[in-house]
Amino acid sequence: MQQMIVIQPQDLLKRVARFKKDGCRLAQILCTRVPEGYELTYSFDKNYFLYNLRLIVPLEESIMSVTSQFWYAFVWENEIHDLVGVQVDFISPDVDYRGNFFQLAEKTPWKDLKNAAPPAQAIKVNLKPGLGVDASVRPAAKKTEAAPAAPGAKTPAAAADVKKTENAAGAGGADKPVTEKEEKNG
Amino acid sequence: MGKNTTIPFGPQHPVLPEPIHIDLELEDEKVVRAIPSIGYIHRGLEKLVEKRGYQEYVYVAERVCGICSFGHGWGYCRAVEQLMNLQVPERALYLRTLWHELSRVHSHLLWLGLLADGMGFESLFMHAWRLRETVLDIFEETTGGRVIFSTCKVGGVRRDIDKETLDRMVTILTGLRAEVEEMMEIFLEDSTVKERLCGVGVMTMEQAREWGCVGPMAKASGLAIDYRCAEEETIYHALGFKPITDTAGDCYARCKVRLLEVLQAIDLSVGCCRQMPDGPIDMKVIGFPPVGEAFSRTEQPRGEAIYYVKGNKTKNLERFRLRTPTNINIPAMVNLLQGCELADVPMIILTIDPCISCCER
Repeated sequence: MQQMIVIQPQDLLKRVARFKKDGCRLAQILCTRVPEGYELTYSFDKNYFLYNLRLIVPLEESIMSVTSQFWYAFVWENEIHDLVGVQVDFISPDVDYRGNFFQLAEKTPWKDLKNAAPPAQAIKVNLKPGLGVDASVRPAAKKTEAAPAAPGAKTPAAAADVKKTENAAGAGGADKPVTEKEEKNG
Repeated sequence: MGKNTTIPFGPQHPVLPEPIHIDLELEDEKVVRAIPSIGYIHRGLEKLVEKRGYQEYVYVAERVCGICSFGHGWGYCRAVEQLMNLQVPERALYLRTLWHELSRVHSHLLWLGLLADGMGFESLFMHAWRLRETVLDIFEETTGGRVIFSTCKVGGVRRDIDKETLDRMVTILTGLRAEVEEMMEIFLEDSTVKERLCGVGVMTMEQAREWGCVGPMAKASGLAIDYRCAEEETIYHALGFKPITDTAGDCYARCKVRLLEVLQAIDLSVGCCRQMPDGPIDMKVIGFPPVGEAFSRTEQPRGEAIYYVKGNKTKNLERFRLRTPTNINIPAMVNLLQGCELADVPMIILTIDPCISCCER
Protein backbone atom coordinates (compact mmCIF):
# COMPACT_ATOMS: atom_id res chain seq x y z
CA MET A 1 0.00 0.00 0.00
CA GLN A 2 1.72 3.13 -1.19
CA GLN A 3 1.29 6.55 -2.71
CA MET A 4 3.71 8.68 -4.72
CA ILE A 5 3.63 12.48 -4.29
CA VAL A 6 5.73 14.58 -6.67
CA ILE A 7 7.07 17.81 -5.14
CA GLN A 8 9.61 20.54 -5.87
CA PRO A 9 12.93 20.47 -3.96
CA GLN A 10 12.17 23.78 -2.24
CA ASP A 11 8.99 22.28 -0.72
CA LEU A 12 10.79 19.34 0.86
CA LEU A 13 11.25 20.62 4.42
CA LYS A 14 7.69 21.91 4.58
CA ARG A 15 6.27 18.54 3.49
CA VAL A 16 8.55 16.58 5.78
CA ALA A 17 7.51 18.72 8.75
CA ARG A 18 3.89 18.08 7.85
CA PHE A 19 4.42 14.31 7.81
CA LYS A 20 6.16 14.49 11.17
CA LYS A 21 3.26 16.47 12.61
CA ASP A 22 0.85 13.83 11.28
CA GLY A 23 2.69 11.12 13.23
CA CYS A 24 4.45 9.47 10.30
CA ARG A 25 7.92 8.00 10.59
CA LEU A 26 10.59 8.38 7.95
CA ALA A 27 11.12 4.88 6.56
CA GLN A 28 13.89 5.45 4.04
CA ILE A 29 15.54 7.83 1.57
CA LEU A 30 16.28 6.54 -1.91
CA CYS A 31 18.40 8.16 -4.59
CA THR A 32 18.55 7.10 -8.23
CA ARG A 33 20.87 8.72 -10.73
CA VAL A 34 18.82 9.80 -13.76
CA PRO A 35 19.79 11.93 -16.81
CA GLU A 36 18.12 14.99 -15.23
CA GLY A 37 20.14 14.68 -12.05
CA TYR A 38 19.22 12.88 -8.85
CA GLU A 39 15.81 11.32 -8.33
CA LEU A 40 15.15 11.35 -4.60
CA THR A 41 12.36 9.50 -2.81
CA TYR A 42 11.55 10.08 0.85
CA SER A 43 9.25 7.36 2.22
CA PHE A 44 7.03 7.92 5.25
CA ASP A 45 5.09 5.22 7.02
CA LYS A 46 1.89 5.45 8.99
CA ASN A 47 -0.18 2.38 9.85
CA TYR A 48 1.79 0.35 7.28
CA PHE A 49 0.88 2.74 4.46
CA LEU A 50 3.84 4.22 2.58
CA TYR A 51 3.74 7.85 1.43
CA ASN A 52 6.58 8.64 -0.98
CA LEU A 53 7.78 12.15 -1.71
CA ARG A 54 9.45 12.26 -5.12
CA LEU A 55 11.69 15.11 -6.26
CA ILE A 56 14.37 15.67 -8.89
CA VAL A 57 17.48 17.60 -7.93
CA PRO A 58 19.70 18.85 -10.78
CA LEU A 59 23.34 17.71 -10.66
CA GLU A 60 24.83 21.06 -9.69
CA GLU A 61 22.24 21.82 -6.99
CA SER A 62 22.00 20.67 -3.39
CA ILE A 63 19.19 19.53 -1.14
CA MET A 64 18.36 20.50 2.44
CA SER A 65 18.91 17.92 5.14
CA VAL A 66 15.86 16.60 6.98
CA THR A 67 17.84 15.77 10.14
CA SER A 68 16.17 18.76 11.82
CA GLN A 69 12.90 16.78 11.67
CA PHE A 70 14.11 13.17 11.61
CA TRP A 71 17.56 13.01 13.20
CA TYR A 72 18.15 9.42 12.17
CA ALA A 73 17.98 10.40 8.47
CA PHE A 74 21.71 11.11 8.71
CA VAL A 75 22.44 7.47 7.83
CA TRP A 76 20.79 7.80 4.43
CA GLU A 77 21.85 11.39 3.79
CA ASN A 78 25.49 10.47 4.36
CA GLU A 79 24.97 7.34 2.26
CA ILE A 80 23.56 9.16 -0.78
CA HIS A 81 26.30 11.76 -0.44
CA ASP A 82 29.07 9.16 -0.30
CA LEU A 83 27.74 6.78 -2.96
CA VAL A 84 25.85 8.94 -5.45
CA GLY A 85 27.31 12.38 -4.73
CA VAL A 86 24.18 14.29 -3.72
CA GLN A 87 25.16 17.49 -1.90
CA VAL A 88 23.09 17.61 1.31
CA ASP A 89 23.15 20.93 3.17
CA PHE A 90 22.90 21.42 6.93
CA ILE A 91 23.11 17.83 8.13
CA SER A 92 23.08 17.98 11.93
CA PRO A 93 26.77 18.84 12.74
CA ASP A 94 27.27 15.93 15.16
CA VAL A 95 26.43 13.40 12.43
CA ASP A 96 27.77 15.11 9.30
CA TYR A 97 30.55 12.78 8.18
CA ARG A 98 31.55 14.98 5.21
CA GLY A 99 32.13 12.04 2.89
CA ASN A 100 33.67 9.67 5.43
CA PHE A 101 30.69 7.56 6.46
CA PHE A 102 31.47 4.81 3.96
CA GLN A 103 35.08 3.66 3.63
CA LEU A 104 35.25 3.61 -0.18
CA ALA A 105 38.15 3.04 -2.54
CA GLU A 106 36.58 5.44 -5.04
CA LYS A 107 34.65 8.64 -4.34
CA THR A 108 30.96 8.65 -5.32
CA PRO A 109 31.12 5.43 -7.35
CA TRP A 110 27.45 5.59 -8.43
CA LYS A 111 27.46 9.16 -9.66
CA ASP A 112 28.49 8.45 -13.24
CA LEU A 113 25.59 7.40 -15.47
CA LYS A 114 27.91 5.46 -17.78
CA ASN A 115 28.35 2.92 -14.99
CA ALA A 116 24.84 1.77 -15.85
CA ALA A 117 26.01 0.28 -19.16
CA PRO A 118 24.36 -2.92 -20.49
CA PRO A 119 25.80 -6.23 -19.31
CA ALA A 120 28.90 -7.64 -20.89
CA GLN A 121 28.55 -10.49 -23.36
CA ALA A 122 30.51 -12.82 -21.13
CA ILE A 123 28.00 -12.44 -18.29
CA LYS A 124 25.28 -13.97 -20.48
CA VAL A 125 27.00 -17.30 -20.04
CA ASN A 126 25.34 -17.58 -16.66
CA LEU A 127 21.87 -17.11 -18.09
CA LYS A 128 21.46 -20.70 -19.24
CA PRO A 129 18.19 -22.21 -18.01
CA GLY A 130 18.82 -24.25 -14.93
CA LEU A 131 21.79 -22.18 -13.82
CA GLY A 132 20.85 -18.56 -13.38
CA VAL A 133 17.27 -18.53 -14.61
CA ASP A 134 14.45 -20.95 -14.01
CA ALA A 135 13.65 -22.99 -17.10
CA SER A 136 9.89 -22.70 -16.69
CA VAL A 137 10.06 -18.91 -16.58
CA ARG A 138 12.49 -18.01 -19.27
CA PRO A 139 12.49 -19.65 -22.70
CA ALA A 140 15.57 -21.67 -23.47
CA ALA A 141 18.32 -19.86 -25.34
CA LYS A 142 18.12 -20.17 -29.12
CA LYS A 143 20.43 -22.75 -30.52
CA THR A 144 22.70 -21.49 -33.26
CA GLU A 145 24.95 -23.45 -35.48
CA ALA A 146 28.20 -22.23 -34.11
CA ALA A 147 31.76 -23.27 -34.58
CA PRO A 148 33.18 -25.85 -32.19
CA ALA A 149 33.58 -24.40 -28.70
CA ALA A 150 36.84 -22.67 -28.02
CA PRO A 151 38.75 -23.55 -24.84
CA GLY A 152 37.14 -21.92 -21.78
CA ALA A 153 33.89 -21.00 -23.55
CA LYS A 154 30.59 -22.39 -22.28
CA THR A 155 28.12 -21.17 -24.92
CA PRO A 156 28.24 -20.57 -28.67
CA ALA A 157 28.14 -16.79 -28.05
CA ALA A 158 31.05 -16.96 -25.69
CA ALA A 159 32.84 -19.28 -28.09
CA ALA A 160 32.53 -16.68 -30.82
CA ASP A 161 33.89 -14.05 -28.45
CA VAL A 162 36.83 -16.17 -27.54
CA LYS A 163 37.51 -16.93 -31.19
CA LYS A 164 37.56 -13.21 -32.03
CA THR A 165 39.89 -12.62 -29.14
CA GLU A 166 42.25 -15.30 -30.30
CA ASN A 167 42.39 -13.72 -33.74
CA ALA A 168 43.17 -10.33 -32.26
CA ALA A 169 45.48 -11.21 -29.40
CA GLY A 170 46.95 -14.48 -30.54
CA ALA A 171 46.72 -17.91 -28.98
CA GLY A 172 46.78 -18.20 -25.22
CA GLY A 173 45.26 -14.74 -24.54
CA ALA A 174 41.63 -15.88 -24.59
CA ASP A 175 40.68 -14.97 -21.05
CA LYS A 176 42.25 -11.56 -20.76
CA PRO A 177 40.05 -9.41 -23.08
CA VAL A 178 36.84 -10.89 -21.57
CA THR A 179 38.06 -9.85 -18.15
CA GLU A 180 38.81 -6.37 -19.45
CA LYS A 181 35.35 -6.12 -20.92
CA GLU A 182 33.80 -7.19 -17.65
CA GLU A 183 35.89 -4.69 -15.75
CA LYS A 184 34.95 -1.91 -18.13
CA ASN A 185 31.30 -2.62 -17.56
CA GLY A 186 31.57 -3.44 -13.87
CA MET B 1 37.19 16.18 35.17
CA GLY B 2 38.11 12.59 34.27
CA LYS B 3 40.71 11.35 31.87
CA ASN B 4 39.68 11.51 28.21
CA THR B 5 40.49 8.58 25.97
CA THR B 6 39.36 7.44 22.53
CA ILE B 7 39.05 3.69 22.04
CA PRO B 8 38.63 2.18 18.57
CA PHE B 9 35.98 -0.56 18.78
CA GLY B 10 35.93 -2.92 15.80
CA PRO B 11 35.92 -3.74 12.91
CA GLN B 12 37.43 -6.85 14.52
CA HIS B 13 36.25 -7.42 18.06
CA PRO B 14 35.31 -10.60 19.97
CA VAL B 15 31.67 -9.53 20.39
CA LEU B 16 31.21 -8.32 16.84
CA PRO B 17 30.19 -10.99 14.35
CA GLU B 18 30.52 -8.48 11.53
CA PRO B 19 32.72 -5.47 10.84
CA ILE B 20 31.63 -2.07 12.04
CA HIS B 21 34.03 0.49 13.45
CA ILE B 22 33.03 2.71 16.35
CA ASP B 23 35.26 5.34 17.93
CA LEU B 24 34.33 5.47 21.60
CA GLU B 25 35.24 8.75 23.29
CA LEU B 26 35.55 8.06 27.01
CA GLU B 27 35.73 10.11 30.14
CA ASP B 28 37.27 7.65 32.60
CA GLU B 29 35.07 4.55 32.08
CA LYS B 30 32.03 6.39 30.73
CA VAL B 31 31.30 6.71 27.01
CA VAL B 32 30.60 10.33 26.14
CA ARG B 33 30.37 9.90 22.38
CA ALA B 34 30.25 7.06 19.87
CA ILE B 35 31.13 7.70 16.24
CA PRO B 36 30.32 4.80 13.87
CA SER B 37 31.78 4.31 10.42
CA ILE B 38 30.86 1.56 7.99
CA GLY B 39 31.82 0.44 4.50
CA TYR B 40 34.23 -2.41 5.19
CA ILE B 41 32.05 -4.91 3.33
CA HIS B 42 30.16 -2.69 0.92
CA ARG B 43 29.71 -4.82 -2.20
CA GLY B 44 27.52 -2.60 -4.36
CA LEU B 45 24.88 -5.33 -4.68
CA GLU B 46 22.15 -2.77 -5.40
CA LYS B 47 24.08 -1.62 -8.45
CA LEU B 48 24.49 -5.20 -9.68
CA VAL B 49 20.77 -5.29 -10.55
CA GLU B 50 21.63 -3.40 -13.74
CA LYS B 51 23.78 -6.29 -14.95
CA ARG B 52 21.72 -9.33 -13.95
CA GLY B 53 18.39 -10.52 -15.29
CA TYR B 54 15.46 -9.80 -12.98
CA GLN B 55 14.97 -13.54 -12.36
CA GLU B 56 18.65 -14.11 -11.82
CA TYR B 57 18.93 -11.28 -9.31
CA VAL B 58 16.93 -13.28 -6.73
CA TYR B 59 20.16 -15.19 -6.05
CA VAL B 60 22.05 -11.93 -5.50
CA ALA B 61 19.33 -10.59 -3.19
CA GLU B 62 19.56 -13.75 -1.13
CA ARG B 63 23.28 -13.25 -0.73
CA VAL B 64 22.92 -9.80 0.83
CA CYS B 65 23.01 -11.56 4.19
CA GLY B 66 23.52 -15.15 5.26
CA ILE B 67 21.08 -15.05 8.15
CA CYS B 68 17.99 -13.41 6.67
CA SER B 69 18.74 -14.59 3.13
CA PHE B 70 15.31 -16.10 2.48
CA GLY B 71 13.57 -12.89 3.59
CA HIS B 72 15.65 -10.81 1.20
CA GLY B 73 14.83 -13.13 -1.69
CA TRP B 74 11.16 -12.99 -0.77
CA GLY B 75 11.12 -9.20 -0.39
CA TYR B 76 12.75 -8.75 -3.79
CA CYS B 77 10.38 -11.24 -5.47
CA ARG B 78 7.40 -9.58 -3.85
CA ALA B 79 8.45 -6.16 -5.18
CA VAL B 80 8.89 -7.54 -8.71
CA GLU B 81 5.56 -9.40 -8.48
CA GLN B 82 3.91 -6.17 -7.45
CA LEU B 83 5.54 -4.36 -10.36
CA MET B 84 4.39 -7.07 -12.81
CA ASN B 85 0.99 -7.40 -11.13
CA LEU B 86 1.31 -11.13 -10.42
CA GLN B 87 -0.92 -13.07 -8.03
CA VAL B 88 1.17 -15.76 -6.39
CA PRO B 89 -0.63 -19.07 -5.55
CA GLU B 90 -1.66 -19.45 -1.91
CA ARG B 91 0.39 -22.59 -1.32
CA ALA B 92 3.51 -20.70 -2.41
CA LEU B 93 2.68 -17.95 0.09
CA TYR B 94 2.35 -20.52 2.88
CA LEU B 95 5.65 -22.16 1.92
CA ARG B 96 7.35 -18.75 1.88
CA THR B 97 5.91 -17.91 5.30
CA LEU B 98 7.05 -21.27 6.66
CA TRP B 99 10.66 -20.84 5.52
CA HIS B 100 10.67 -17.21 6.59
CA GLU B 101 9.50 -18.01 10.13
CA LEU B 102 12.00 -20.85 10.42
CA SER B 103 14.66 -18.35 9.36
CA ARG B 104 13.54 -16.16 12.26
CA VAL B 105 14.00 -19.10 14.65
CA HIS B 106 17.45 -19.74 13.19
CA SER B 107 18.42 -16.04 13.37
CA HIS B 108 17.25 -15.52 16.95
CA LEU B 109 18.86 -18.74 18.19
CA LEU B 110 22.10 -17.67 16.55
CA TRP B 111 21.80 -14.28 18.23
CA LEU B 112 21.02 -15.82 21.63
CA GLY B 113 24.17 -17.91 21.30
CA LEU B 114 26.22 -14.83 20.45
CA LEU B 115 24.75 -12.98 23.44
CA ALA B 116 25.66 -15.85 25.77
CA ASP B 117 29.13 -15.93 24.24
CA GLY B 118 29.48 -12.17 24.76
CA MET B 119 28.65 -12.65 28.44
CA GLY B 120 31.17 -15.48 28.74
CA PHE B 121 28.40 -18.06 29.28
CA GLU B 122 29.91 -20.63 26.93
CA SER B 123 27.67 -23.60 27.79
CA LEU B 124 24.56 -21.53 27.09
CA PHE B 125 26.08 -20.39 23.79
CA MET B 126 26.62 -24.01 22.74
CA HIS B 127 23.13 -24.97 23.91
CA ALA B 128 21.53 -22.23 21.76
CA TRP B 129 23.56 -23.22 18.70
CA ARG B 130 22.77 -26.89 19.24
CA LEU B 131 19.06 -26.06 19.03
CA ARG B 132 19.71 -24.01 15.91
CA GLU B 133 21.08 -27.10 14.19
CA THR B 134 17.58 -28.63 14.29
CA VAL B 135 16.26 -25.78 12.16
CA LEU B 136 19.23 -25.97 9.79
CA ASP B 137 18.55 -29.68 9.33
CA ILE B 138 14.96 -28.87 8.37
CA PHE B 139 16.26 -26.34 5.84
CA GLU B 140 18.63 -28.90 4.39
CA GLU B 141 15.88 -31.46 4.03
CA THR B 142 13.29 -29.12 2.50
CA THR B 143 15.43 -26.80 0.39
CA GLY B 144 18.76 -28.53 -0.12
CA GLY B 145 20.67 -25.67 1.54
CA ARG B 146 21.42 -24.80 5.13
CA VAL B 147 22.02 -21.06 4.70
CA ILE B 148 21.10 -20.02 1.16
CA PHE B 149 17.97 -21.80 -0.04
CA SER B 150 17.29 -20.42 -3.54
CA THR B 151 13.72 -21.65 -3.30
CA CYS B 152 12.05 -18.29 -3.86
CA LYS B 153 11.47 -17.07 -7.40
CA VAL B 154 9.37 -14.44 -9.08
CA GLY B 155 5.91 -16.01 -9.32
CA GLY B 156 6.18 -18.55 -6.49
CA VAL B 157 8.66 -21.04 -5.09
CA ARG B 158 10.85 -23.72 -6.65
CA ARG B 159 10.33 -26.56 -4.18
CA ASP B 160 7.31 -28.12 -2.59
CA ILE B 161 7.13 -30.00 0.71
CA ASP B 162 5.11 -33.22 0.79
CA LYS B 163 2.52 -34.08 3.44
CA GLU B 164 4.69 -36.64 5.28
CA THR B 165 7.55 -34.17 5.63
CA LEU B 166 5.18 -31.49 6.91
CA ASP B 167 3.82 -33.89 9.54
CA ARG B 168 7.34 -34.84 10.56
CA MET B 169 8.27 -31.14 10.80
CA VAL B 170 5.38 -30.57 13.22
CA THR B 171 6.76 -33.29 15.50
CA ILE B 172 10.32 -31.92 15.30
CA LEU B 173 9.19 -28.34 15.92
CA THR B 174 7.06 -29.37 18.91
CA GLY B 175 10.14 -31.01 20.44
CA LEU B 176 12.24 -27.94 19.63
CA ARG B 177 9.70 -25.68 21.32
CA ALA B 178 10.00 -27.62 24.57
CA GLU B 179 13.79 -27.36 24.44
CA VAL B 180 13.68 -23.61 23.73
CA GLU B 181 11.33 -23.14 26.69
CA GLU B 182 13.86 -24.91 28.88
CA MET B 183 16.68 -22.70 27.61
CA MET B 184 14.50 -19.60 27.99
CA GLU B 185 14.32 -20.22 31.70
CA ILE B 186 18.11 -19.91 31.96
CA PHE B 187 18.17 -16.71 29.91
CA LEU B 188 15.39 -15.08 31.89
CA GLU B 189 16.01 -16.41 35.41
CA ASP B 190 19.77 -16.85 35.75
CA SER B 191 21.27 -14.23 38.07
CA THR B 192 24.45 -13.71 35.99
CA VAL B 193 22.42 -13.03 32.86
CA LYS B 194 20.20 -10.61 34.78
CA GLU B 195 23.22 -8.81 36.23
CA ARG B 196 24.58 -8.19 32.73
CA LEU B 197 21.32 -7.21 31.03
CA CYS B 198 18.81 -5.65 33.45
CA GLY B 199 18.75 -1.86 33.40
CA VAL B 200 21.47 -1.64 30.74
CA GLY B 201 20.94 0.40 27.55
CA VAL B 202 17.44 1.57 28.43
CA MET B 203 15.42 3.12 25.62
CA THR B 204 11.96 4.52 26.23
CA MET B 205 9.10 4.19 23.77
CA GLU B 206 9.34 7.89 22.96
CA GLN B 207 13.06 7.54 22.22
CA ALA B 208 12.44 4.46 20.09
CA ARG B 209 9.94 6.45 18.03
CA GLU B 210 12.22 9.50 17.84
CA TRP B 211 15.22 7.41 16.72
CA GLY B 212 13.19 5.46 14.14
CA CYS B 213 13.73 1.99 15.62
CA VAL B 214 12.21 -1.15 14.13
CA GLY B 215 12.04 -4.84 15.01
CA PRO B 216 12.71 -6.31 18.47
CA MET B 217 14.56 -3.08 19.38
CA ALA B 218 11.34 -1.09 19.05
CA LYS B 219 9.11 -3.85 20.41
CA ALA B 220 11.18 -4.18 23.59
CA SER B 221 10.40 -0.51 24.26
CA GLY B 222 6.67 -0.98 23.72
CA LEU B 223 6.54 0.24 20.12
CA ALA B 224 4.62 -2.45 18.25
CA ILE B 225 5.98 -1.92 14.73
CA ASP B 226 5.74 -5.21 12.91
CA TYR B 227 4.99 -5.45 9.21
CA ARG B 228 3.35 -8.84 9.72
CA CYS B 229 0.36 -6.85 11.05
CA ALA B 230 -0.08 -5.09 7.69
CA GLU B 231 -3.16 -5.67 5.58
CA GLU B 232 -1.33 -7.41 2.74
CA GLU B 233 0.16 -10.06 5.05
CA THR B 234 -2.90 -12.28 4.64
CA ILE B 235 -1.20 -15.51 5.77
CA TYR B 236 -0.18 -13.98 9.10
CA HIS B 237 -3.75 -12.81 9.64
CA ALA B 238 -4.98 -16.34 8.96
CA LEU B 239 -2.46 -17.67 11.49
CA GLY B 240 -3.64 -15.18 14.12
CA PHE B 241 -0.39 -13.25 14.45
CA LYS B 242 0.00 -10.63 17.23
CA PRO B 243 3.29 -8.74 17.82
CA ILE B 244 5.22 -9.42 21.03
CA THR B 245 6.16 -6.34 23.04
CA ASP B 246 7.72 -5.40 26.36
CA THR B 247 7.95 -2.07 28.12
CA ALA B 248 11.25 -2.12 30.02
CA GLY B 249 13.32 -1.12 26.96
CA ASP B 250 16.60 -2.48 28.35
CA CYS B 251 18.93 -5.24 27.10
CA TYR B 252 16.99 -7.80 29.14
CA ALA B 253 13.70 -6.80 27.48
CA ARG B 254 15.27 -7.10 24.03
CA CYS B 255 16.51 -10.58 24.93
CA LYS B 256 13.07 -11.52 26.26
CA VAL B 257 11.26 -10.29 23.15
CA ARG B 258 13.55 -12.36 20.91
CA LEU B 259 13.09 -15.45 23.07
CA LEU B 260 9.32 -15.10 22.91
CA GLU B 261 9.55 -14.50 19.17
CA VAL B 262 11.36 -17.82 18.79
CA LEU B 263 8.40 -19.59 20.39
CA GLN B 264 5.97 -17.55 18.33
CA ALA B 265 7.83 -18.30 15.10
CA ILE B 266 7.77 -22.02 15.92
CA ASP B 267 4.01 -21.78 16.50
CA LEU B 268 3.54 -19.92 13.21
CA SER B 269 5.62 -22.55 11.40
CA VAL B 270 3.53 -25.34 12.90
CA GLY B 271 0.41 -23.40 11.87
CA CYS B 272 1.74 -23.18 8.29
CA CYS B 273 2.41 -26.94 8.23
CA ARG B 274 -1.10 -27.74 9.46
CA GLN B 275 -3.01 -25.22 7.35
CA MET B 276 -0.99 -25.64 4.13
CA PRO B 277 -3.52 -25.55 1.27
CA ASP B 278 -3.28 -27.75 -1.80
CA GLY B 279 -2.53 -26.26 -5.19
CA PRO B 280 0.26 -25.05 -7.44
CA ILE B 281 3.45 -23.59 -6.02
CA ASP B 282 4.26 -21.19 -8.85
CA MET B 283 2.82 -19.46 -11.85
CA LYS B 284 4.10 -18.84 -15.32
CA VAL B 285 5.80 -15.49 -15.66
CA ILE B 286 5.91 -14.07 -19.17
CA GLY B 287 7.81 -11.03 -20.34
CA PHE B 288 9.88 -8.46 -18.55
CA PRO B 289 8.97 -6.03 -15.74
CA PRO B 290 7.14 -3.02 -17.22
CA VAL B 291 8.16 0.61 -16.89
CA GLY B 292 7.26 1.52 -13.33
CA GLU B 293 8.32 1.15 -9.75
CA ALA B 294 7.17 -0.68 -6.65
CA PHE B 295 7.95 -0.87 -2.96
CA SER B 296 7.52 -3.97 -0.84
CA ARG B 297 8.27 -4.82 2.77
CA THR B 298 8.96 -7.87 4.88
CA GLU B 299 9.42 -8.27 8.61
CA GLN B 300 12.90 -9.69 8.92
CA PRO B 301 14.18 -11.16 12.21
CA ARG B 302 15.81 -7.79 12.96
CA GLY B 303 12.83 -5.71 11.87
CA GLU B 304 11.15 -4.19 8.87
CA ALA B 305 13.04 -4.25 5.57
CA ILE B 306 11.98 -2.17 2.55
CA TYR B 307 12.59 -3.21 -1.06
CA TYR B 308 12.28 -0.96 -4.07
CA VAL B 309 12.45 -1.94 -7.73
CA LYS B 310 12.26 0.17 -10.87
CA GLY B 311 11.55 -1.54 -14.17
CA ASN B 312 12.24 -0.32 -17.71
CA LYS B 313 10.66 -3.07 -19.85
CA THR B 314 13.97 -4.89 -20.30
CA LYS B 315 15.29 -8.02 -18.65
CA ASN B 316 17.38 -5.91 -16.26
CA LEU B 317 15.81 -3.72 -13.62
CA GLU B 318 16.93 -0.11 -13.57
CA ARG B 319 17.20 0.20 -9.81
CA PHE B 320 16.96 -1.93 -6.72
CA ARG B 321 17.11 -0.53 -3.25
CA LEU B 322 17.09 -2.32 0.06
CA ARG B 323 16.67 -0.56 3.39
CA THR B 324 17.52 -3.05 6.07
CA PRO B 325 16.56 -2.98 9.76
CA THR B 326 20.15 -2.52 10.95
CA ASN B 327 20.43 0.48 8.70
CA ILE B 328 17.71 2.26 10.66
CA ASN B 329 18.74 0.90 14.09
CA ILE B 330 22.29 2.30 13.94
CA PRO B 331 21.25 5.81 15.09
CA ALA B 332 19.60 4.27 18.18
CA MET B 333 22.77 2.30 18.91
CA VAL B 334 24.85 5.48 18.74
CA ASN B 335 22.52 7.20 21.18
CA LEU B 336 22.33 4.27 23.60
CA LEU B 337 26.11 4.05 23.79
CA GLN B 338 26.40 7.66 24.92
CA GLY B 339 26.52 7.75 28.70
CA CYS B 340 26.96 4.02 29.25
CA GLU B 341 29.87 2.29 30.98
CA LEU B 342 32.60 0.85 28.76
CA ALA B 343 31.92 -2.66 30.13
CA ASP B 344 28.30 -2.42 28.93
CA VAL B 345 29.20 -1.51 25.34
CA PRO B 346 29.34 -5.14 24.09
CA MET B 347 25.92 -5.96 25.56
CA ILE B 348 24.28 -2.86 24.10
CA ILE B 349 25.75 -3.49 20.65
CA LEU B 350 24.79 -7.17 20.78
CA THR B 351 21.20 -6.57 21.84
CA ILE B 352 20.71 -4.37 18.79
CA ASP B 353 21.71 -7.45 16.76
CA PRO B 354 23.52 -5.47 14.07
CA CYS B 355 23.89 -7.12 10.70
CA ILE B 356 26.48 -5.12 8.82
CA SER B 357 26.26 -7.26 5.66
CA CYS B 358 22.61 -6.25 5.37
CA CYS B 359 23.36 -2.68 6.32
CA GLU B 360 25.99 -2.15 3.64
CA ARG B 361 24.73 -4.44 0.85
